[in-house]
Amino acid sequence: MVEQRVMITNRLGLHARAAAQLVRTASCFESVLRLERIDGSAAADAKSILSVLMLAAARGTELRATAEGADEHEAMAAVCVLFESGFGESEQ
Amino acid sequence: MSERVRHKGREERWRGLGVSDGIVVGRALRIHNGTRQVYRATLEEGDVEREVRRLRAAVRLARRQLLNIKSRAETELGIEHAYIFDAHLLMLEDHKLLDDVENFIRTEHANAEWAVKVAADRILAVYAEIKDDYLRERGSDIEDVVQRILVALSGEPSLALRNLTEDAVVIAEDLLPSAMAELDFEHVRAIATDAGGWTSHTAIIARGLGIPAVVGLRDLHRRARTGDEVVVDSYAGEVILHPSEATAEHYRYIVASSSGARYAATESGHDPLRTLDGREITLRANVELPAEYEGVRRFGARGIGLFRSEFLLTQGGAMPTEAAQYKAYCEVALLAGEDGATVRLFDLGGDKMGGAYSETERNPALGLRAIRFSLRHEEVLRTQARAVLRAAACGRLDIVLPMVSDITDVRRARRVIEEERARLESEEKEFGAIRIGAMIEVPSAVLTAEKMAREVDFFSLGTNDLVQYLLAVDRGNDEVADWFRSLHPAVLHSISRTLKAAEAASIPAVVCGEMASTPAYAVVLIGLGATDLSMTASFIPRVRRTIAGVRYDEAAPIAAECLQCEAADDVEEVVRERLGARWPHLFPAKTLPAQKNKE
Repeated sequence: MVEQRVMITNRLGLHARAAAQLVRTASCFESVLRLERIDGSAAADAKSILSVLMLAAARGTELRATAEGADEHEAMAAVCVLFESGFGESEQ
Repeated sequence: MSERVRHKGREERWRGLGVSDGIVVGRALRIHNGTRQVYRATLEEGDVEREVRRLRAAVRLARRQLLNIKSRAETELGIEHAYIFDAHLLMLEDHKLLDDVENFIRTEHANAEWAVKVAADRILAVYAEIKDDYLRERGSDIEDVVQRILVALSGEPSLALRNLTEDAVVIAEDLLPSAMAELDFEHVRAIATDAGGWTSHTAIIARGLGIPAVVGLRDLHRRARTGDEVVVDSYAGEVILHPSEATAEHYRYIVASSSGARYAATESGHDPLRTLDGREITLRANVELPAEYEGVRRFGARGIGLFRSEFLLTQGGAMPTEAAQYKAYCEVALLAGEDGATVRLFDLGGDKMGGAYSETERNPALGLRAIRFSLRHEEVLRTQARAVLRAAACGRLDIVLPMVSDITDVRRARRVIEEERARLESEEKEFGAIRIGAMIEVPSAVLTAEKMAREVDFFSLGTNDLVQYLLAVDRGNDEVADWFRSLHPAVLHSISRTLKAAEAASIPAVVCGEMASTPAYAVVLIGLGATDLSMTASFIPRVRRTIAGVRYDEAAPIAAECLQCEAADDVEEVVRERLGARWPHLFPAKTLPAQKNKE
């Protein structure tokens, strides 16, 4: 299992489009991908949009991402790129 | 029985907010999209697996519908509005929902409808707790998806399959984004909804397609029945159910004599427009959404006078990337053709934005909006400038700076744009030449217009905001609607002064704003010296027909008389009397300012 901390940097947080991008990306991999609030108050299956939206992760939220499976390293890398790029939204 | 007959004959009126102009007499088509009544049934053990299969078939059907809606939305509303349906698709495919539903059917022996409702309610309860406004709003997307599954389960055809009559007036509580995208735009004559406001999805799309719409009608949906005769008058913000014969006749006459022009749109085509005495007038289109692009050609616009670029932002307000903007501006440039398009830089902040930025401002109309926002968030300005400059290689594009209040705003924005131009050059990227203009919509800009004219390439007069700022009247506040007077002498003086300043500096000036789209006002504007008007495309035929029937040398003295007036009432009286007397065939009473009750 691999684990990494990620930060929500885009202005609207994990909103519908960002969540959709995340779910589409996560679904490309076999590994189980999970996101969890650092305080452990909520966790989500990254392949379920309803679950991801329920994290209610606004900008500035820090999350723990974990991946477990045959392609866990690739999966983690792909997901981290999305977070780092702010889901393609221009930064302000 | 007599009760019913009497009820049917009684005229009932609802007042709402007209969000897309026009008058229509038609037949109600009532659309259900609120909560469907769902009942619980208990299944025999042997029927459980069949119920699960029925659910799966309904989900497959809903999925096919959503795929269609998504691709249609991409082409008709633009990619930035279509993404929401991608999220809907993912929700529909989400195992979190479907597993719950199937489990519930199996363990509780419940019918699929009930199981869907229970599972959805559990999820929605969690959403209702979310503190972030925008994320909490996503509950409505889940409801949209759930309704779609329920409709699929019911076996009723979806909206797109309905046979719409020629004169359908869609009446709904509210139109969910997917329901709106599914309507057969060709056959919908008007839209009336209980909920909604000026910036609701319904309103934006209706304006783009030139379909009259009135929203905020409270309980109309509950009272109307499909097939009822109905009048929609968006100028008055009124919907009349079961109009009396006299009322219906009155409106049919108006439709036939004036706004019917919409349907005879293409007749006069694209020849240069001249007044009877030969003054050439250019009519351009104001554009927000790709859905309006078709109208630009159809209604004979000479290019795009105002492209409201902030509509490229997603519903939630996410900034479009440079690549997405570049693509959009190229498309706009190609559409506008040789007459070119003017991209207004993001008019963000204040009332335009809602959500994340505005809530911290106590006075958003006077706050960090438009060019101020772009200058503060310079990266936003740089990204947009690069996208426009690059797209200008595809066709003629100009930039106009919104809400300039001091010449320093122009200088600062120009410097940033210039830096980006230089950067593109050093990166050896392709770009085109653009002109930079100023929106004149703030009193301070009017009062310094002569100086401003020397530093910009053109003026755009934004009459909506000009009236708001000049008269200190919030145009969104019903309480002060009586004070919002486009024909106030101060407004006319401001327009006149701005036009003169532009002429003295030999730069063009385009008047964009709602004023230009009202024929009587357009004649006053022309009398004041305007030769270039930009408006929602669907109004062009109507204004064109009016201008082609008047003389400039007669409009000018009428405008001059208006400038001499002391009060807005007096100006309106001059307009009503002079235009009505001189060109009665062009100005039936309904098209002129209404007579005020004299004290």
